[in-house]
Amino acid sequence: MATTLGSKLENKTILSAAKVSFTYDPQPGDKSAVEWTFRDLSLQVREAEIVCIVGASGCGKTTLLNVIAGLLKPQSGSITIASAENRGRAIGYIFQQDALLPWRTVRANLALAEELRGGVFKRGSKERLARYMDTFNLKEQILDQFPAQLSGGMRQRVSIIQSLMFDPQLLLLDEPFSALDFYTKLRLESEFCRLVKEQRKAAILVTHDLDEAVAMANRVYIMDLNGNLSHEFEIDLQQNDGSVEAARGTPQFAQYYSAIWSELKSVIAN
Amino acid sequence: MSMLYPLPAIVLLIAWYIFTASDPKRQFVFSSPQKVFDTLVHLLSSGALVRDAATTTFEALAGFILGTTSGALIGLTFWYSRTVAKIAQPYISALASVPIFAIAPMIIVWFGIGVMSKIMLAFLSTVVVAIVQSYQGSMSVEPRILKLMQVLGASRNQVFRIVVVPSSLIWVINAMKLNIGLALLGAFIGEFISSEQGLGYMIVKASGLYDMATVLVGVFTLICIALFLTMIVGKLEAWLLRWKHA
Ligand SMILES: Nc1ncnc2c1ncn2[C@@H]1O[C@H](COP(=O)(O)OP(=O)(O)O)[C@@H](O)[C@H]1O
Ligand SMILES: [Mg+2]
Repeated sequence: MATTLGSKLENKTILSAAKVSFTYDPQPGDKSAVEWTFRDLSLQVREAEIVCIVGASGCGKTTLLNVIAGLLKPQSGSITIASAENRGRAIGYIFQQDALLPWRTVRANLALAEELRGGVFKRGSKERLARYMDTFNLKEQILDQFPAQLSGGMRQRVSIIQSLMFDPQLLLLDEPFSALDFYTKLRLESEFCRLVKEQRKAAILVTHDLDEAVAMANRVYIMDLNGNLSHEFEIDLQQNDGSVEAARGTPQFAQYYSAIWSELKSVIAN
Repeated sequence: MSMLYPLPAIVLLIAWYIFTASDPKRQFVFSSPQKVFDTLVHLLSSGALVRDAATTTFEALAGFILGTTSGALIGLTFWYSRTVAKIAQPYISALASVPIFAIAPMIIVWFGIGVMSKIMLAFLSTVVVAIVQSYQGSMSVEPRILKLMQVLGASRNQVFRIVVVPSSLIWVINAMKLNIGLALLGAFIGEFISSEQGLGYMIVKASGLYDMATVLVGVFTLICIALFLTMIVGKLEAWLLRWKHA
C-alpha cells in the first residue's frame, strides 16, 4: 500500500480546478435566486490517472467538461492545466459521436494539429502517429479512407488519435464508448487505459456505464443533482496491462460496483 | 429497367406523328416530326443553330459562373458577421422577389442589346440563390465540429477555411443545380426582349413567321443544353462529394 501512495505523490497534477462555480443564468446578480449548475467545485487529476464521473442525466457533467475545456467561462474559481513544453494549452475532447471532418481522409484529419499549430507539431509527428495507431490497433490502410467508410469504433479511435496529435496532457471524454457495441467497447476501453498509463496522460471520463467506470477508473465521483461531486471512490483495479476484462474479473470489482451503485441510487432518488 | 426510359418519348413521338400525318392544318399549328427533323438538318447545315445555341450557352454559362461564384463568396463570408448578414437580408429578399422579366428591359438599356446584357441577366438570376444557399450552408456546420475546433484553438480564419467552406459545398452545389435553369432563363429572356442572335432570338423570329418547326427545334436545343449542363454539375458533385458515397 505504501508503494502505491508513494508513486502517486510523485505523479504531477495535470488539472487543478479550485472552487469553480458555473451557471447558465446570464445575470447571476441576485445570489439567492441563481440556479447554479455547480458551486465551489474542486477537482484534481494527476498524470496517468483516469477519473470517472457518473451521475443522473442533466446533473451537469457535460457542462463541467465544457468549463474545463474553456468553452464556457465559470463565474468564479480557477482552473489550471499543465501542458507539454512549447505546446501551448492543449486539451483533448472526445464526444459520444466523433467530430471528424467527413470530407477529409483519416490522414488529413490526423494532420489537423500540424495544420492548426504548425511548427513544433511537425517534428516527430510521424513517429507519434505510428505509435498511437499501434496503441489503438489501427492498420495503415485506413489512413486513406474517409470517416464514412469506417465503423463507429474505428472513428472513435481516430478521434482520440486526432486529439492526441495535439499532445494534450488532459483528455476529456464525454460518454465516448456508449454508442459502440459491447465487444468494441471492451477493446477500446482497454486500449484507452493502456494509452493513459503508457503516455502518462490525465483523463476525465464521463459515463453512464457504472461497469465501465469501475473497470477503468482510478477514482470515481458521483455527481449529485446539485452538481456536487458528492461521493469519491478510490479504485484502481487496473493491472499494468490495462485490460478491463482482467479488472472485471477481480473480486473487488463486484464490491466497488455494488458500493457505488447503492450510493448512486440514493443520490438519483433524492 | 433503364431500357424503358426512352419509352414515353417514343410513344409521344408516334402519337404526334399520327395526329399530324396527312392534315396540313394540324401541321401548321403543331408542326410534325418530319418537318422538325428537316428543319433541324437545315439549321445545322447552315450553321445558324450552332451559332444561336453557342451564343445562348455562352451567355448563360458566363452569368452562371459569375453569379454562382460571387454569390457563394458573399454568402460564405456572411458567416463572419451575423450583423452584416442581418442587414443584407432584406435587400437580398427584395432582389429575390423581383421577377427577372421586370428588370430585363432596364438591364438591356444599360448594357445594350449584345451579349453583355444577357450575361448580366443570367448573373442577376443566379447570384441570389447562391448567396442564400451558401449562407445557409455556412450556418449549418455540425456544432460538434465547431466545438472541437474551438477546443483545439483554431482561429476564426482557420475555422472558415478548414470547416465552413468545405462543409458548405453541398449547399453551393445545390445552388448550382437550381442556377442552371435560372441562368438559361435569364439569358433567354434577354434575347427574347431584344437581341440579334441566340435561341431566344431564333424562337421569337420563327414564331412571328408561324414557323413552328423552328420554334420546336429551339425548344429542344434549350432542353439539351440544360440537360448537358446539369450532367456536368452532377459529375462535379460526384467528385466533390466523393467522401459521402465512399
Ligand atoms: N446551453 C445551455 N443553456 C442553458 N442550460 C443548459 C445548457 N446546456 C445544458 N443546460 C442545462 O444544464 C444542466 C446540465 O446539463 P448537462 O451538463 O448537459 O448535463 P449532463 O451532461 O450531466 O447530462 C441541465 O439541466 C441542462 O438543461
Ligand atoms: Mg451530457
